[in-house]
Amino acid sequence: MNTGFLRVLLDPGRFFEARMQGEPSLKVPALIALVIGIIGAVSAALSANVTIAAFPADMQAFGSIGVAIAVVGGIIGGFFTWVAFGIVFYIVSMLFVGDGDLKRTLEFTGYGLLPQVFGGIIGAVFSYQLISNLTIPTASRPEDIAVVVEALTNAMLADPLTQIIGIISILFLIWSANIWIFGMKYARNLSTRNAALTVGIPVGLYILINLVTLIGLM
Amino acid sequence: MRPRYLILLSIFCVIAALTGPASAGPADITVTSSTLDPQVLMKGDTGTLTIVIQNTGAETVAIKSARLYGSGVVPLSEPYPSVGELGAGNTKTFTFTVRADGGEGTFYPQFVLDFRNDGSLRHPVPVQVEDTPLSASVINKPDAFAEGRTADITVRVGNPRPNAASGVQVIPIGTGFTATPTGGFVGALAPDAAGTVTFNLTPTAETDVTFQVVWRNGINTHTADLVLPVTFGEDKRQADPVITNVEVTPEAGRYRVVGDISNAGLESARSVVIAPGAPAAPTDPFRIYVVGTLDPDDISSFEVTFKAERNVTEVPIVVEYRDGDGNRYTATTMVGLGGATLPAEGSGGDLPVVAIIVVVLVALGIAGAIYYSWRRT
Repeated sequence: MNTGFLRVLLDPGRFFEARMQGEPSLKVPALIALVIGIIGAVSAALSANVTIAAFPADMQAFGSIGVAIAVVGGIIGGFFTWVAFGIVFYIVSMLFVGDGDLKRTLEFTGYGLLPQVFGGIIGAVFSYQLISNLTIPTASRPEDIAVVVEALTNAMLADPLTQIIGIISILFLIWSANIWIFGMKYARNLSTRNAALTVGIPVGLYILINLVTLIGLM
Repeated sequence: MRPRYLILLSIFCVIAALTGPASAGPADITVTSSTLDPQVLMKGDTGTLTIVIQNTGAETVAIKSARLYGSGVVPLSEPYPSVGELGAGNTKTFTFTVRADGGEGTFYPQFVLDFRNDGSLRHPVPVQVEDTPLSASVINKPDAFAEGRTADITVRVGNPRPNAASGVQVIPIGTGFTATPTGGFVGALAPDAAGTVTFNLTPTAETDVTFQVVWRNGINTHTADLVLPVTFGEDKRQADPVITNVEVTPEAGRYRVVGDISNAGLESARSVVIAPGAPAAPTDPFRIYVVGTLDPDDISSFEVTFKAERNVTEVPIVVEYRDGDGNRYTATTMVGLGGATLPAEGSGGDLPVVAIIVVVLVALGIAGAIYYSWRRT
């Protein structure tokens, strides 16, 4: 079965093995990171829009700036995630005497982010449902904005959907981690065990932090 | 002596013998006393005038008739047309029913005795007429009345008249209230004396309560009215529950309001119950919060939970309490929901089933993908 880069989802070993035959290219990984960033930007814009709805009428103009910042931040966040995981994997794999250039590591890390696209879409849908269920009173005075935002945050954190979104995020991260293990195995010329440790240590920590946060919300 | 003189002397003796003993004149009859019951009449009153005469002479006096006449105070009873003789030293009593037809003042109806052998005795009898009624005043009442709230009303009845009043009663008359007792009995009131009656008055509407003072002056019944306007107002001493330190917390599908309630009044608030009012819909676990008795300056915390529509920005927190008589009062405090957001019903405490199913399916799919990827290796 050869379905292009989507093959990385179900057969990452063969996929990365085949990719090792050519020169490293960051075009597709960058596209994946861009899509993830756009999805993140949409979610951030929705949240920002809800918050702005609570602003006094004379402060609504500042809200557009907030939405713009959220969109830009979301797109940058996609690329940041890609690069951050890639560098971390590269550094950790050095502990296991990994051999391979950073560009290849970034390329395979980017492919490994593909499940995050699906996770991001499902998370955005649930986020929209969560936000649409909120009652947003308008802050009549500028001094009330902080109170409204805080209350809004508390309400979102108290909603079970928030925990579900977190769980979905962790599930897709595990899928990505599985792909990254194969990726690091080839990109850094590691044994399967060392590749699993290279990916498992930072991702495990990340998941652990997320789980602690989620448990704290329950 | 000539025979002719003897004959004249004999005729004189015969005439003297035929006419009987010699009778005393009006100068020997004295009015020894006159009494009026009641002592002082009011205008239109009927009284009994008793006159006592005595023969202070040494001989019997023949009295033809006795009568009373005058203006202002007129006799109602018939005169004595034939009295008879009154022996030396004896007394005789004459009783007349009189009525005060004139105004106030002292009247002097004439008591007249007509003697059988000419002459008469006229004696003016003083009769006092004074129209001053008993006075009534409210000496104790609440600062303000409230619908359904029982209030103690104390009425003092005084007797400014110069004579005693008997059978004094106070009867509350009117509509729109109930009174206990329905009438108060004071009894006899001596001149310048006073008596009090206390009523438990429960008004059901703003009205005028007439306290009718009923008394008898002799056989005559009189009344005097004391009107007490009953208008509803705020009692300066009543309990005053105040809600402070309110915190509104949005929860899944509902709001939770916690705060403090204190009694800033001077009387205890009893059976204090706190509940959210419309448009809020009380919901479990704290549909209402029962505080109980809240004494003056006392404070208690409370907690209520409710649901509200999304466009609701503030809801009333209703405090119901009672006074010592069981009358119910309410006090409302508006609580703003500004700054509080509420997850809508269905997304809250209830787990979103669809989302959970999605999570399970995603987990199964990812597990399958991971398994498949390792199997292909």
